[in-house]
Amino acid sequence: MGAGTRATRPVQTWKGVVIDALVAGLLLSGLGLVFNALYSDGIPLVADKEYDILVPCPEPLGEVFPLEPDGLSQEGTVVIDAREPEQFDEWHWAGASNVPFDFLDPVASDKVADIIRTRARRIAVYGDGEDPDSGRELARELAGRGARNVFFVPGGASALMAGKASAQPADSGDRGDRNGRTGNTGDNANRSGGAP
Amino acid sequence: MSHFAWKAYRDWPGHAWLALPIRLYLGSVFLLACYHKVLHPDQFALDVATYQFLPLALINLFAITLPWVELGSGVLLVTGWKSRGAALLVALMMLAFIVALASALHRGLDMSCGCFASNAVAGDDPISGMTLVRDGIWLAMALHVLLFDRNPLGPGRFRTWLRRRRGTSLKTKEDVR
Repeated sequence: MGAGTRATRPVQTWKGVVIDALVAGLLLSGLGLVFNALYSDGIPLVADKEYDILVPCPEPLGEVFPLEPDGLSQEGTVVIDAREPEQFDEWHWAGASNVPFDFLDPVASDKVADIIRTRARRIAVYGDGEDPDSGRELARELAGRGARNVFFVPGGASALMAGKASAQPADSGDRGDRNGRTGNTGDNANRSGGAP
Repeated sequence: MSHFAWKAYRDWPGHAWLALPIRLYLGSVFLLACYHKVLHPDQFALDVATYQFLPLALINLFAITLPWVELGSGVLLVTGWKSRGAALLVALMMLAFIVALASALHRGLDMSCGCFASNAVAGDDPISGMTLVRDGIWLAMALHVLLFDRNPLGPGRFRTWLRRRRGTSLKTKEDVR
């Protein structure tokens, strides 16, 4: 095509372009409506109930810091286990409280308030140690919701168990519980038997 | 860009050839995008609802009609018939998608795009800034066709060429007489 093709036919006006778009849009929408009416998997024109949407809404996230396992036994530390209750029952850090972390549901406000009320010098959270680590995620959520000095244990429960001296059987008489009520601070953990 | 430079660029006769691959690409993208949505309006309606952008009363209507507008626009762009009208439709759709995506990103929704398949199927196609950039490029392509491809290669141009050829040959016969 050379320069001569420019004048082969009149250039369409903007009005013509808009009319083309309008006509095409209306005709195609009508076609869609007809197809939907005849199609076996068609849907009603107006939804009769709300859709179940599973999109995790972001929680405000705060700054958290890594903590070595031996830091859990320091005085004034509240220890939180972010794993599932079954895993918590199998093994947990002496005096730890179980606050299972869910990627979809935020932690209940009363549990968060309970943790903040302890006025612990620091809050140490450990989780499954996977990627993403439930402990770190819970720590970020708590920090974002007003808790201060929140730490997480890199590697989670596995890292704690690896240092076997820290390992505690679940029925060792510690004062942690599965309801998110904070158990003890670090000095209590030592007294409850076995934490390093 | 001065007025004359703009006019010279706008009237450059090579635009039809530059726009041809753009039209084919954009048309193919829309044909590909509409396929799943046309066959599974229920899943697409859920994808639309996930954006939490439209009121419930409009979600199904949108999910039923949009894939067909995508289908028609894709066909018109590929064939070159009424391609500027189709480019206008595509540009408007891309604008709407960009606004919805930007809103979802701003709200921090962690979701799949749902652009080419449902969220359930395309779990590895999360929305991100790159999705916005991609849509922006497609919008620019549609605008290029709309603004510069004023004499598109396609049935209209072929008809004109045919008419001109016949006219020329008639003139030749008259000249002979």
